[in-house]
Amino acid sequence: MTVKSGRWAALFLAVPLGLYFTFVVGPSLYSFYYGFTDWNFLTGEANFTGLDNFRRLFADADFWSAFQNTIIWTALGLVISVFGGFWLAMALSRLLILERFVKSLFFLPMALSLVVVGFIWTWIYRLDFGFANIVLRMLGYEDLATAWLADRNWALFAVIFAWSWQQVALSMIVFLAGLTSVPKELMEAATIDGARFRHQLNQVIIPSLRPATGVVISLALINSLKSFDIVWVMTGGGPFQQSETLAVLIYRQAFRSYEFGYSSTIAVALFVITLVIIGGSILANRRGAE
Amino acid sequence: MSMVAKKRARTLILAGVGLSAVMILGACASGSTETASSHVVAEHYFSGDLGAQAFAEIWPLCEQQTGITMDNPTIDHEAFKDAILVQLAGGNAPDLFSYWAGARTQSLIDNGQLDPIDDMWSAAGLDAAIPASIADSAATYGGSKYLLPFVYHYAGMFFNPAVLEEAGITEIPTDWDGLMSMAETLKAQGITPFALGSTDRWPAQFWFDYLILRTAGPEYRAALMSGEASYDDPEVVAALELWKEAIDAGYFNTSPNGSGWTDAADQVARGEAAMTLMGTWITGYWDGNGLVAGTDYDFFPFPQINSDVALASVGPVDGWVMPSGAKNQAGAKQVLECLASPEAQKVMALLQGAIAANSNTDLSSQNAVMQKAAKQVADSEAFVFNYDLATPPAVAEVGLNMFVEFIDNPSDIAGILSSTATKAAAAF
Repeated sequence: MTVKSGRWAALFLAVPLGLYFTFVVGPSLYSFYYGFTDWNFLTGEANFTGLDNFRRLFADADFWSAFQNTIIWTALGLVISVFGGFWLAMALSRLLILERFVKSLFFLPMALSLVVVGFIWTWIYRLDFGFANIVLRMLGYEDLATAWLADRNWALFAVIFAWSWQQVALSMIVFLAGLTSVPKELMEAATIDGARFRHQLNQVIIPSLRPATGVVISLALINSLKSFDIVWVMTGGGPFQQSETLAVLIYRQAFRSYEFGYSSTIAVALFVITLVIIGGSILANRRGAE
Repeated sequence: MSMVAKKRARTLILAGVGLSAVMILGACASGSTETASSHVVAEHYFSGDLGAQAFAEIWPLCEQQTGITMDNPTIDHEAFKDAILVQLAGGNAPDLFSYWAGARTQSLIDNGQLDPIDDMWSAAGLDAAIPASIADSAATYGGSKYLLPFVYHYAGMFFNPAVLEEAGITEIPTDWDGLMSMAETLKAQGITPFALGSTDRWPAQFWFDYLILRTAGPEYRAALMSGEASYDDPEVVAALELWKEAIDAGYFNTSPNGSGWTDAADQVARGEAAMTLMGTWITGYWDGNGLVAGTDYDFFPFPQINSDVALASVGPVDGWVMPSGAKNQAGAKQVLECLASPEAQKVMALLQGAIAANSNTDLSSQNAVMQKAAKQVADSEAFVFNYDLATPPAVAEVGLNMFVEFIDNPSDIAGILSSTATKAAAAF
């Protein structure tokens, strides 16, 4: 790169970087600062309170409940995204007719915003005329029909399932793209050598999909850790906080309990948790690649 | 690429960047060429079934009366609670906005977000138009007027007369035993006595409000709302025990936490349930669905439980407030005068199933049920705001969660109230 082209690159990068620092990094740093204060959002007043907010955090049952829900979401979301997306991609890659149409159909959830996904599944889960309960009743499982989003045992999983419906579509696309890079000659050689599908899967396909798997895992982790909109639309974190994730708790502490400083403290905690999980995932992926 | 072409390309790119910058800056700048006093932004939460139709008539009326053009963004009722806080904090508040009288308004005043409207109040002669009880409780904070009462609602037991008639019920209950006896009669005939749709939490508050008011009285409730009493007091336990009695007897619909208030209203309208404890806005909803007041629906007041306590009525007062630093205060006050007028309040009251705050409003054409509700409030020994407007927002958050948790598991009163007491104390 010449000096002049380097200057042009710097000039053009300045605009998006400036926007990124102004609207993403800056507010995040402010949030870190407010986490150590009793920030009043309306007046702007923020008195330094030291570690009081963090001491409160560690003793807060609502925080640990939301933390648990977030971890459950992350774990389940990861499993469903990876396995569901992989097997769907495998099945679709073997389609002989209407291939493009079927792939588009399965990709459709990705065209919807999570808010719309939330509204759709809220109606599916309704006690009276929700599709889920209609099917259960038709199959003779009347006793299993329930108000899924109002049931303390099922609300969280019902929302995770709705979220996964969209997430699997994203994973499927990534895996489909990855499958096109599986070396055909290796597959042919394996077939000629009499390797069964299970061996082809373990010895050729899965190793070739390592980069795609890394992408799917990262996307699933990031999307699950920041889950807010679909939860808010479907349950508001209810019933009585049973489906509340850390992102929802942050919002509720700020805009319902007017605890903006403490809300920022929870945001700092979520940042640390995200860093640990994503960082661990990246390290594990690198070691696996080596 | 030749040197000339490179130079041309560079010029084009620079021109593009410069143009983008100009466009961005232009978008940020105020573009209005109208004078400030001719334009007012009035934001409100009377969306959808809660007043959209009424405001389609009210805004043109006010524009005609004041000569001011209105921008009137409507926000979903629940989303408004958060959205207005963000606007106030960002210094981007409208010139006036609708708000709930009581603790929420007090909270904004405590944070210096509202300006008083005493001058507008005096100029419009509202002391003679707004009843003193409403003016004192809903409009006045710290001796100054901050909120213009617009309309208010009354929470009563709205029922389907045909259902009661078919069940052979001829007398409206006047006490708790009578209510439970009626519920038992209905249940025996396969009719759900009480429909409750508490998925949004707030519909459950009316049960808590009336049970506390009818057992412990308005003074105790006021103490509970202000933090002077505790949620694990025997009075609260006693109220929840009565509620538990009704839930355990199977008098409520299946999974109230899984339905909304309109679902409960629909159950009553269809005759699947007999009654629902709800505010008078339900009449606007039913009217919009073609039901006829008096024939398809009516109401009775929540019955007496303890004869030693005053019979209070519960309901919210919707009003209008002016934020500090509103760009067009003069225009906003003119619009407030219009909203205080009998003409504007009549539209809202008739279309929305509400009671006008201005006592000069001609509501003779309002249906008999609403007129009965207005009389019920006028005759009440006390009128109090419903729970989530009577207590600070942070505490209301705790209480609303407590109601739905109790509905889900009414057997754990002690555990639920102990946890609520701790959280409420922290919130206070």
